[in-house]
Amino acid sequence: MIDLGALHTQVRDILETGEVRAVVGWRRGSRGMLAEPVTIATPEEAETLVWDPTCFHNLSLTLVEERKKPSWRPGKPIAVVAKGCDARSLTVLMQENCFRRDEVYVIGVSCAGSGVLDERKLAQRLPGVEPDSAAFDGDAFVCATAGGEDRIPARELMADRCLECRDAHPKLNNVVFGEAQPRAFDPPFAALARFEQEQVGVAERWQFWQRQFERCIRCFACRSVCPMCYCEECVVDSINMAVGADTTAAEKANRIRWIERSASRADNIGYHMTRALHLAGRCIDCAECERVCPVNIPLRLLNNKLEREARVAFGYEPGASIDLPALVASFRDDDPNHFIR
Amino acid sequence: MEAILDKKNLNDWIAALDGWDAYAPALEDGVWSYRPASANAALAHPNTVQPPKGFAFPQREIFFRFEQIKGEAPRLTPVQPEPGRRVVFGVRPCDGRAVPRMDRVFADHVDDGYYRARRKDLAYVGLACHKPQSRHCFCKSVGGSPVSTEGLDVLLTDLGERYFALAVTDVGKALMQAGGALFAKAGASERKAVEQAHAAAVAQPQRGVADAAAAPAALKAGFDSPLWEELAQGCIGCGICTFLCPTCHCFDINDEVTGAAPLKGQRVRTWDTCQFPDFTMHSSGHNPRDTLGSRLRQRVSHKFRYFHENFGMLQCTGCGRCVSQCPVGIDIVQVVNRVAGSI
Ligand code: SF4
Ligand code: SF4
Ligand code: SF4
Repeated sequence: MIDLGALHTQVRDILETGEVRAVVGWRRGSRGMLAEPVTIATPEEAETLVWDPTCFHNLSLTLVEERKKPSWRPGKPIAVVAKGCDARSLTVLMQENCFRRDEVYVIGVSCAGSGVLDERKLAQRLPGVEPDSAAFDGDAFVCATAGGEDRIPARELMADRCLECRDAHPKLNNVVFGEAQPRAFDPPFAALARFEQEQVGVAERWQFWQRQFERCIRCFACRSVCPMCYCEECVVDSINMAVGADTTAAEKANRIRWIERSASRADNIGYHMTRALHLAGRCIDCAECERVCPVNIPLRLLNNKLEREARVAFGYEPGASIDLPALVASFRDDDPNHFIR
Repeated sequence: MEAILDKKNLNDWIAALDGWDAYAPALEDGVWSYRPASANAALAHPNTVQPPKGFAFPQREIFFRFEQIKGEAPRLTPVQPEPGRRVVFGVRPCDGRAVPRMDRVFADHVDDGYYRARRKDLAYVGLACHKPQSRHCFCKSVGGSPVSTEGLDVLLTDLGERYFALAVTDVGKALMQAGGALFAKAGASERKAVEQAHAAAVAQPQRGVADAAAAPAALKAGFDSPLWEELAQGCIGCGICTFLCPTCHCFDINDEVTGAAPLKGQRVRTWDTCQFPDFTMHSSGHNPRDTLGSRLRQRVSHKFRYFHENFGMLQCTGCGRCVSQCPVGIDIVQVVNRVAGSI
């Protein structure tokens, strides 16, 4: 269990001493029970930070966005509250030189034994009822509603990625709250294995994915929320090149459009295949893309599939250590594939 | 025209609508959306994830195809909207109120032939809300009501085993007449029941915009408020709030090239959104609306100020989708209340 008071004290201290210039965390939002991301810069705000099963967001995204702003200056570190998965994404970002280790102060929060809840599972479990708050009591989620309290066993409400969490205790940290406990739930890739059992043939799977991609509305929430999708230019944007004052008209007119921006099935598939491949060996399974998708496309399956490929083919685990090279930048004498050696 | 329809006759009524393609909400892959009505359609849905706006204004539509053989004049082949009358069942009153707002933009203000061609053959059969569909509904505070008939052709009210059907337009009347004997005369007791149901629905508590009438002026005064950036802090700049909004209508037009020799392709209209950075990107690379706060201000001001300045009505109907579907919980009610309240 996390001692929120101790976390507040820590946050207050590092802001007071000026060890960090800001802290990214979660606070109560105005949208029902949900926590929302917030960046605070004064010690007085420390107590507004919360920790509960609605702290879904992978806050390393806030850092990435901050880093992209023209106003970004290297300097004192920014602190970020990070769950196990979030810490793995910070690790990947450091492996890829988005940040130096000393630019980020990681306040780890361990979800050992718990995890965040899945709003879709909640909506099925309590149809038509949106709780005022949700907490975790060790075995179950406790949802407070107008009609009282509902205790729902962890298994029934927990997000799939948490059930299968690779490491709930943030390894990369400057300070960490909560214990390092072994997980009691599913092994990694359990949902993917279920899917592969249900949809056996290639034709079946192709049909399944066509139906999923057909309804994509290309809102790009999956890309916007992904800390690994930090490219300045993206092949799916209408302006997919960095345009400057000296870019010529011909350059603009002749920009390459691999994938059209309008939502047709073929272009949607092109978008999702590109994104999945660009995340191979980088996606750390925070599953934010799947959570935010308004039309419920099971994007996590795609990313998990490629994560497993990287694991099986190269023995590679994304986000394991900042001292390891990134997958596509690595060469090992003991690579299991002989054609590489 | 008022009449009573037994719920078990709903599908027979739909089947009796000769010459109309019917659509109704269905749950597929965990998402409520409008689908071709099945033979056992039931109107027991929370509000759909996507509003019915795509019936008149689809996310993607082809205007014309082009082809040019080198040295020859380009050949254009216009593409017309697919013909046919369509009736959409189960439209909630907030989404009904979106219809005249879209009409203002595409049929009154300008004459958009593609929109008009679809719209003239569309009918909406609404379903009154007995209680808010979610805790994010705020229709009452923006001039709507859970039993509003605005924009609908028929309004159904659920009376347990039966619907009380009210024809709002001539098209609605014709739809009900096509049901013939499936509809029974509404008596005094049914009238009373529907009045009570409506009064109870309207009495249900909802959250809301504090003072919608004052919002346009207050947002104007608050244009330079630092609150915009503060409230947009968590925003990830995706297209959810605008694409799912029943009244957001911005679009982009692109030539999609499908072949090089001969050069051919199609001109396509597709939804666009003020929340994407390239929406306002100039060809010089300069972007006048380059912060999340300035984009939030645009979205909220369009709903609560610019549309009002142009057409004398608020554009937001309080459906709550942009709140409930936002990945980070950006809440338009709070945004309007905070900015207006700071003036
Ligand atoms: S979030 Fe869902 S609907 Fe939006 S672009 Fe991604 S897959 Fe498509
Ligand atoms: S307000 Fe929410 S839904 Fe809208 S662009 Fe921002 S993150 Fe996306
Ligand atoms: S602005 Fe939001 S609440 Fe208002 S109509 Fe659009 S989606 Fe619904």
